[in-house]
Amino acid sequence: VLDQPFGRRTLLRGAGVLGAVSVGLGSAGCGDDDADALTFFFQANPEEADARLTIVQAFQRANPGIRVRTVLSGPDPMQQMSTFCAGGKCPDVLMAWELTYAGLAERGVLADLNTMLAQDHGFAAQLKADSVRDLYDAFAFDGGQYALPEQWSGNFLFYNKRLFAEAGVPAPPDRWDQPWSFTEFLTAATALTKRDRSGKTTQWGFVDTWVPYYSAGLFGMNNGTPWCHPRTNPTHLNFDDEAFIEGVQFYADLAVTHRVAPKAADVQSISTMDLFSSGRAAMALGGHWRYQTFSRADGLDFDVTVLPGGPKGNGGKSNIGTTGLAIAASSPRKQQAWEFLKFAAGPIGQALIGESGLFVPVLTSATRSTGFALAHNRIGNLAVLTDGPSHSGYLPVTPAWPKIDALMDRYIGPVLRGSRPATSLKTGLSRTVEQVLRSP
Amino acid sequence: MTSRDGGPRPTKRRARAGRVFVAPNLIAIAVFMLFPLGFSLYMSFQTWDLFTPARFVGLANFGHLFTADPLFVTALRNTVVYTVGTLVPTVLISLVVAALLNRKLKGISVFRAVVFVPLAVSSVVTAVMWQFAFNTDDGLLNTMLGWIRLGPVPWLLEPGWAMVSLCMVSVWKSVPFATVVVLAAMQGVPHTLYEAARIDGASELRQFVSITVPLIRGALSFVVVISIINAFQAFDQVYVLTGGHGGPETGTYVLGIMLFQNAFAFLDFGYASALAWVMFAILLGLTLLQLRLTRRSSMRL
Repeated sequence: VLDQPFGRRTLLRGAGVLGAVSVGLGSAGCGDDDADALTFFFQANPEEADARLTIVQAFQRANPGIRVRTVLSGPDPMQQMSTFCAGGKCPDVLMAWELTYAGLAERGVLADLNTMLAQDHGFAAQLKADSVRDLYDAFAFDGGQYALPEQWSGNFLFYNKRLFAEAGVPAPPDRWDQPWSFTEFLTAATALTKRDRSGKTTQWGFVDTWVPYYSAGLFGMNNGTPWCHPRTNPTHLNFDDEAFIEGVQFYADLAVTHRVAPKAADVQSISTMDLFSSGRAAMALGGHWRYQTFSRADGLDFDVTVLPGGPKGNGGKSNIGTTGLAIAASSPRKQQAWEFLKFAAGPIGQALIGESGLFVPVLTSATRSTGFALAHNRIGNLAVLTDGPSHSGYLPVTPAWPKIDALMDRYIGPVLRGSRPATSLKTGLSRTVEQVLRSP
Repeated sequence: MTSRDGGPRPTKRRARAGRVFVAPNLIAIAVFMLFPLGFSLYMSFQTWDLFTPARFVGLANFGHLFTADPLFVTALRNTVVYTVGTLVPTVLISLVVAALLNRKLKGISVFRAVVFVPLAVSSVVTAVMWQFAFNTDDGLLNTMLGWIRLGPVPWLLEPGWAMVSLCMVSVWKSVPFATVVVLAAMQGVPHTLYEAARIDGASELRQFVSITVPLIRGALSFVVVISIINAFQAFDQVYVLTGGHGGPETGTYVLGIMLFQNAFAFLDFGYASALAWVMFAILLGLTLLQLRLTRRSSMRL
């Protein structure tokens, strides 16, 4: 046989057989994996993914009849979810973000959980009693409840205790009801900024690890004006409000005028997280999702404090940043998905989340638990986290958010670079946003 | 062709075999090219967000694009600036580089290989690499400018400079391909013409302008058309360099970014399809114009 030439037909036949076999094996493999598993789509960094899997494993131990297949999102979860769902492969359980879920809810992608809550009186009552109302309502849209919140991801300040002590700056407030003002914050940030002989900054007073144009709005809100009116399906965003504009300008001036915060050019080669982790920044704005990164930084002794409040406001507030769990309207496994939601967003899952130290749970019982305190034993001002959800202002909940987000980037960007004053938002951003809200 | 017994059967069989062999490609073209093209044309007359059923809106998407969307004008203007800013330097640099490489020198093949390297690098990798070079504080470009005491340039941070940066990256990426085409054309120019010109006392520059350039006009025309098409379709480099919003402000908001944003961020696939067909129409018009001009000038030759 070996002496015979290897003919073209033999080659083609062989390739055909191989192809058929591989297709057969492939589909058999897929079928085996996908058959009855409940699919759970979420976004997470590696540390968060571990915590997620802990919850999933605990759920499977408690519910041996329900198998869960996790789907980890890429960098743009909304785009990925849209593509999955439009292609008829919508995961059963979806992670939802308070700023973006409305677009999916409006298009009928998410199931209204009120149906399940109405049938599960005991759980609904327990959830209501244990929840922070504003967080829960973040997922209420057009009369429906489209997700159950599972973590508070609002923003606050991390601060480097050693740098404060070295500069002789008194420790900042340890709770939300003891506010500090924009002026006090600026004084501290100025005292904590150091420059070398050539004028190059060697230590920043303040860095921002969130999205700068969102943070600017947060300072606007903390000068006494909410982002929008009303919260859901807003008809007006307050980019034209004097107090809001002053707050945005204060935030921009931290980098542009006072030079206590880095400009965009200063953080092109090093991230703001690295600046704080390496002790080259004294305060960092961010949410609990930065906690693990900062905890693992060598020699970093930090605590958390509240955001400052402007002269026209009543102290600083955080934002109602929250993620929740939703069920796809097209899911054939709604009951199993509901059991998963009850577990993850209910007392058991929330307690596990609290103990993991990776999220701030949303149920009061979990945030006040010993497990949560033990998981955050490096933090002295624990009340900043535990009281955060109830000291948070809302951001707009609207299906038009992707367009508003693009506009904010476009119009607030020049203000943060110092090429335009914040008053320019009154005519530019405000008018354009009004048009989007009128005809999204 | 005839068979051993002179009958037509083997020819028929061969033709059938040919069709069978071509069929997979034809099917692939139909499924992956013709169907999406037809579908996007159909979608350009609908409003569709992926989830709710598509609704026929006639020419409303095109009407909104031309009359009510100021960003279309911005994107079109930016795309034209980007196209010109890429095309002109690409053609000029590729002419010079091809002329330099079109010599019989020792080790010229090494230089040719080096010049063509950017062709093999993906656009995203190119953009990431250039991001480091554009770093305002300690990027390569500003460091070099510092040596000649020129202040730091905010390459990716100011709208005007961001477009300049984008054009630079695009030129860097486009020059090798243009050089390959131009060099191949240059190598086809008969040497006798240069010899005759030299006998007549023509300088090197005169030979280049009066012999080389006219005789490689076809190749240059091809380079121009391809460069315009590539520039109009620019997306990946822009997305990596300055983000999905085409910032800073609208500094790099080109048609490719506008299309992507409307389709995948705003889920307005009907509108994005209309934009895609407008881009196609512009490119078709420009290509036909270019072909006509080239044909006219070749006839003059």
